[in-house]
Amino acid sequence: MEKKVVFSKVSEKDVTRAIVSEFTQQFSEYVESDVIIVGGGPSGLMAGRELAGKGLKVLIIERNNYLGGGFWIGGYLMNKITVRAPAQEILSELQIPYKEFMEGLYVADGPHACSKLIAAACDAGIKIANMTIFEDLVLREENRVAGVVVNWTPVGALPREITCVDPVALETKIVIDSTGHDACVVRKLEERGLIKTAGYGAMWVEQSEDLVVEHTSEAHPGLIVIGMAVSTTFALPRMGPTFGAMLLSGKRGAEIALEKLK
Amino acid sequence: MSHSFITIPSSIHIYQGVETDYLNSVEIADYLQAIIKQAVVDIRPDIHCFYSASYDNKEKGAILDATAFEMAKIKIRDINKKNCLPEPMQAEIDYEKRNLLKSTAKTFGIIYEGFSLQQLYLNLIDEGEKDIKHLHLVFTNQLFATWDPGNIRYHARVSIYGFPSIISTSGIVVAPAKPRDFYLKRQLGQDPNLLKEEYKGSFIDYGDPRMTDVLKGYVAQALFYHLVGYPFCEDKNCRLFNAHRQNELLQAQLFSNYEFCPKHKAVLEQLKDN
Repeated sequence: MEKKVVFSKVSEKDVTRAIVSEFTQQFSEYVESDVIIVGGGPSGLMAGRELAGKGLKVLIIERNNYLGGGFWIGGYLMNKITVRAPAQEILSELQIPYKEFMEGLYVADGPHACSKLIAAACDAGIKIANMTIFEDLVLREENRVAGVVVNWTPVGALPREITCVDPVALETKIVIDSTGHDACVVRKLEERGLIKTAGYGAMWVEQSEDLVVEHTSEAHPGLIVIGMAVSTTFALPRMGPTFGAMLLSGKRGAEIALEKLK
Repeated sequence: MSHSFITIPSSIHIYQGVETDYLNSVEIADYLQAIIKQAVVDIRPDIHCFYSASYDNKEKGAILDATAFEMAKIKIRDINKKNCLPEPMQAEIDYEKRNLLKSTAKTFGIIYEGFSLQQLYLNLIDEGEKDIKHLHLVFTNQLFATWDPGNIRYHARVSIYGFPSIISTSGIVVAPAKPRDFYLKRQLGQDPNLLKEEYKGSFIDYGDPRMTDVLKGYVAQALFYHLVGYPFCEDKNCRLFNAHRQNELLQAQLFSNYEFCPKHKAVLEQLKDN
């Protein structure tokens, strides 16, 4: 006869206490960090994995409840993702199964690839503030980026008279903008007249993935731009649903951050 | 057709700014030499590398900085806005520097303002070679476009003729329109790589073995611009036809029964008598 499963006796207040104390402890610890990555898509996760793997204190700010951005699905809502060589090396590194569709083009299951990437970043030691929206930047001497101002995502969705909730500030040594085409962090600098972006690039051009990796850089002191935010910041051509550039740009962004933090 | 004024160059300089997989410049040089026996045709490395080679390291650095800055500045940021060329960011200048230091295998995808790019190359050319005795042919894999006042937008170009004449191997792929269905299917989200397989042969692609043959027509256009001041012909079977579509390009450069129409052939005959 099978043994009946009996859960341990825990009251509601214990559950609440566990959530509150653990969250508060982590949040308090990450009020100051080495790197804050705004945006938990493929480039942000990749950068986070690389940096946390080197022992840095990394916090990812994600406005949605879920991580992964568009990495769950490929083009036309079909859940296969493609990468061009040499980005399949990263798939191998993350132990994501893939197959060669044709010379130089590799295909993998979106959900499998995305969940593996999230797990790899978490295993490396990143911490995540999800349902948290980036609102503004903390600037220091000579307008160096030194942190972010955040709030709960739902606050922005409610009428102001109901939710007049002030945001909070988090300090860090480096901020990474991986907010995709929106380039939210860079845009905030632009609002202050500290940087000038040009939006989407000229036209759809093949092989513009290379350009995204090539332009991954520190766009302003203390602010590194990765992933599709690079495209918006530097007016690069549009590109299709290929994720190789996102992964490689994340990796490149992490290298730049490590160099800056030496 | 007889031209009373033909400007025959004594030297033709080909600048090989493209990987040899994409362009056989020796074959191009031989082709030109066969057309115009009076000129000495030479093949040089990428134009920036060639002209900066003679300077010392300090001057080389200054030329690199200035050229990279200008390249970053002439990047077209919005194809619907004329002369939208703001001050570049440092990362853009750094990218151009890295690209300039590569002699051939340059990253591409950025679109530059065509006439500004031509001016930038002109500024690199040595003063002693800035005259009509010299025909400079710059091959690049970089993309460039010119403003079309009719459509009120920039259009990618294969070539711009003048001093120097610039020809883009990427422009051959991107500028002349591919079959209409190709674009429709791509807009519906079909994988560009699969579409390329489906329409294989109907357009020139990157690394296409037909590239060098096709480019012979474009160097002939550059030569005619130098000789008589006009590069094009209305005959769809003449290499000088200004193709706007890939099928026109293939017809003029590869499938036609003759290379040059009778009137342009006559100009070339006239060359032999000079």
